[in-house]
Amino acid sequence: MITNFDKLCGELEKQELEAPTGIASPSTYAQLLAIYLYQNDLCNAKFLWKRIPQNITSSNPEIAAIWAVGQKLWKKDLPGTYHALAAFNWTEPVANIIRALEDKVRERTFDLVGRSYSSISLDTVVSMTGLSKDAVLHVCRDRKWVLNEDGVTVSPSPPTQPAPLHTSSEDQLFKLTEFVSFLEN
Amino acid sequence: MFEMNTAEPMQVDVPPEDNENNETECYVVDNPTLDLETYAASYTGFAKLYRLMFVADHCPSLRLEALKMAISYVMTTYNVSLYQTLHKKLAEAVASAGLPDVAVQMGSQDIPVLDTIWIESKTKKAAIKLEKLDTDLKNYKTNSIKESIRRGHDDLGDHYLDCGDLTSALKCYSRARDYCTSGKHIIMMCLNVVKVSVYLQNWAHVLNYVSKAEGTPDFNEVPGKDSNQSILTRLKCAAGLAELATKKYKSAAKHFLAASIDHCDYPELLSSNNVAIYGGLCALATFDRSELQKQVIVSSSFKLFLELEPQLRDIIFKFYESKYASCLRLLDEIRDNLLLDMYLAPHLNSLYMQIRNRALIQYFSPYLSADMRLMAAAFNRTVNALEDELMLLILDGQIQARIDSHNKILYAKDVDQRSTTFERSLAMGKEYQRRTSMLILRAAMLKNQIHVKNVGRDTGPQSGEAPGSSTSLTPRTFDTVPL
Amino acid sequence: MASPLEQFVDNVRTMSASGSFRELCEVIGKSDEVLQRNSAHLPTVLETLDIQQHSLGVLAVLVAKFSLPQGAEVDKANMFKQIHDFITNCNGEQVRFSPELYAELCHLLTNHLVDIKQPIRGIEILKKAIRKIQLFDSQLTSIHADLCQLCLLSKCMKPALEFLDTDVTGIGTELGGNNDSKHFLLYYYYGGMIYTAMKNYDRALYFFEVVVTVPAMVVSHIMLEAYKKYILVSFILHGKILPMPKYTSQVVCRFLKPLSVAYHELATSTHAASKHRETFVRDKNMGLVNQVLSSMYKKNIQRLTKTFLTLSLSDVASRVQLGGPSQAENYILNMIEEGEIYAMINQKDGMVVFLDSPEKYASPETLCVLEQQMAACTKLHQYIQEMDEQIQVNPQYVKKSVGSHDEDIPATSQNSKTTYSM
Repeated sequence: MITNFDKLCGELEKQELEAPTGIASPSTYAQLLAIYLYQNDLCNAKFLWKRIPQNITSSNPEIAAIWAVGQKLWKKDLPGTYHALAAFNWTEPVANIIRALEDKVRERTFDLVGRSYSSISLDTVVSMTGLSKDAVLHVCRDRKWVLNEDGVTVSPSPPTQPAPLHTSSEDQLFKLTEFVSFLEN
Repeated sequence: MFEMNTAEPMQVDVPPEDNENNETECYVVDNPTLDLETYAASYTGFAKLYRLMFVADHCPSLRLEALKMAISYVMTTYNVSLYQTLHKKLAEAVASAGLPDVAVQMGSQDIPVLDTIWIESKTKKAAIKLEKLDTDLKNYKTNSIKESIRRGHDDLGDHYLDCGDLTSALKCYSRARDYCTSGKHIIMMCLNVVKVSVYLQNWAHVLNYVSKAEGTPDFNEVPGKDSNQSILTRLKCAAGLAELATKKYKSAAKHFLAASIDHCDYPELLSSNNVAIYGGLCALATFDRSELQKQVIVSSSFKLFLELEPQLRDIIFKFYESKYASCLRLLDEIRDNLLLDMYLAPHLNSLYMQIRNRALIQYFSPYLSADMRLMAAAFNRTVNALEDELMLLILDGQIQARIDSHNKILYAKDVDQRSTTFERSLAMGKEYQRRTSMLILRAAMLKNQIHVKNVGRDTGPQSGEAPGSSTSLTPRTFDTVPL
Repeated sequence: MASPLEQFVDNVRTMSASGSFRELCEVIGKSDEVLQRNSAHLPTVLETLDIQQHSLGVLAVLVAKFSLPQGAEVDKANMFKQIHDFITNCNGEQVRFSPELYAELCHLLTNHLVDIKQPIRGIEILKKAIRKIQLFDSQLTSIHADLCQLCLLSKCMKPALEFLDTDVTGIGTELGGNNDSKHFLLYYYYGGMIYTAMKNYDRALYFFEVVVTVPAMVVSHIMLEAYKKYILVSFILHGKILPMPKYTSQVVCRFLKPLSVAYHELATSTHAASKHRETFVRDKNMGLVNQVLSSMYKKNIQRLTKTFLTLSLSDVASRVQLGGPSQAENYILNMIEEGEIYAMINQKDGMVVFLDSPEKYASPETLCVLEQQMAACTKLHQYIQEMDEQIQVNPQYVKKSVGSHDEDIPATSQNSKTTYSM
């Protein structure tokens, strides 16, 4: 069940800003932090972590655990990220976001590998995605990446671009008219 | 993160000319093939002295000989202080050389000793002469005969020069300016100033007076074609030296190329051989192929200069024939001798590098791809060294290419015009937006009289003038930023 | 009956009722002392006034109440609530007659929140305050600086972005004139810092540039600090210090450079970072300096992509002085992810192939981007034209240009006094 995190994000931000003493509830902080990570908005995540009062972070290990993930992401330490993700027993509603986060990080990693490598060892992919070897091989098949004869390296291929959005020709004509009229005046 | 970064991340950008300044000081030339006697014979005055001293400083094997020649020459002048300096240098040279036995026996005999009587009498004579010239000048002045005053200044200048007091000489020569009555006089005055300024290495001054001389109205009408040519050549040579010294190699080349060999008689500054070398090297370093061909190789006047330096002539021809390996080898051969030239030495490295770069660029220009191993062989370099050289040239935009380091092939870069156009127009659009919004903001700032002034509005003289200024605000002072 | 305070209340009521707000502003301007002297009665006065109907009067009383030097500590507890209520309920049109006073109230609130270390509470209310007083979205007020300050102090930057992202085209009167330009400088300085924190260096550079190019007769500390950050951000973005625009005030050029030697040395010396560590730490710029250093590696790798088609990872490492092939691989991978270079790593051979940008500028996205950019440029152009037209019909301008034309020959020096100071 993936909900609309962007909308939730806006609501949580509002909650924090309107908190009477300037301090929001631990649950608000935890969800917001996790959502920032999900959005790969590491800057805002970092500052959120810094502004959560210390008594809240110390009494809510989940928040600290979320930031442990954030730190690994900040350092682009992918294996560490999966470790941190697996190291905590997440509770709802955070768990939901964390699941989405994990999927997204992995998806991004596969895309990146596809774009950046012409050949890469299977072990590297395993550690970069935190998956088992079999699972990696499975994804490779899905993505039509070729396993080389040596059995230890794969040749990734770039991810396919999503189909471009189509704009109506009327709209284009309108813009063109506008542009030409600007040039002529 | 930080510790690891203390390495040298910005090194790649450092321009290569960085090491030039100290280079002048501390290199040593071991095996020159220079015939000092002939070399020194081409110069007079300070040119001879300075050049000999330069050789002495940088070439141990010629040190004693150079100093001896300098001393014997300086004794023909009134320059007592230089005489003493030279003797001191000589004494040091003898002491530090720790001469081998043979040389000691040989050398001790003809090493001149400090002649104190000479010093005394010369000093006295110089003072007497100075006094006489001074009184003469005073007399001329009381009689206010312009021409005599001018000559008086010139004579005084000559004498100061003879004594080695360059600054005073320059002053006297410059003062003559007010008493010049003809274009010819002005030109003579300029030449005097130029000469002393070269000795003082005041290059801006040199160029200034060269252009003054060239701008003299009747410069071209000075009677006697020949003397005119010879003056022109002198001016060109002096300007060339100044441009060379200030690293403007291309205009230096042009000046030297304009010299005329039949009128190249300027022993106070340089010899015809110098003109050939300076002009040739600067041209090679900065001219493109067609310039080199038109202005150097087929130039009837410069050809004659090149005859004086056959090695350089060969180098230029080899370069033009694209025989870079032998060209560069020949350049290396004459390197040692050139390093003993006081005006050229500080620039030799950068000139050589420019010549090399030019060769590399020309070599690659007709190709779409080139095997770097062959290229390296043609330039007497290892492939890796060549790769570094090429990298700098590519970054500098001088070669449009990319290196395939894996296969050691240099590929000409094919530029996609369409993409670059898109790229550029988008960048231009961004820049326009940035500047325009800055402009709008600035207009708003000026309209609202926003500017930084002294703290405390109360002191402002025109209080009350500004629209809507309120008095009820507690004045605030600038705090340093509260973060 | 005729106590000055009562008279004040009376004035507020009658003038508010008759809509003579301009006159009321004058009265308020002169009542400062009266209000301060009668501080004990101010709460009563507030009760007799209505926030909506007598906004200006209430504003004056609130400012007087909260700017009392000391002693009135008692009421600070209610300060937030009172100001909050006022900003929420006051009549925008009325308070626009006295933006200085309005801004002053916001400054007071800001200082209070900074004092009690609850800056985050003020963010929402200041946003509201700005929106209420602004004549249009792109108008800068002196409250903007307060908002940014609170955002920075509370480490909650996101709310400031909607304001920072709007390019300013007009400036509230309370910022200019004879008021010192502190709030103007601070807004752009804080804004630059927020953008730096968000790693939006392009915008940050723009903001710092604004600070250092404000016309100046003296150099303020804010300018100096902004200049230091300008240098660092410039390094991160461009690998070198961009020259300052020509219109930078002379005094700025003259004083800023000698005061920021350590920063300039970063350009020339490779060890400047460690040599001047203390300076950077004291200036609280060490984090940025580290960013600069790391960006230098990236810049050098980018240079490699311009020169090489293929290169081994160990060559990359040695050419940009990284620790080893795996570190080079990391840098390259990160740069590919950020879209800073285009390359393919071949782990098997330990080689990297540098590619040209795959962008062919032939997609519908390109068209979309182009259209957006052109629209933005067009909009700016039209705005400039409007400004030009306004100047053309400005009486002073007309007078001057016509005047100088008439008196073309005699006494041109005289009419240089009438200025439209552009």
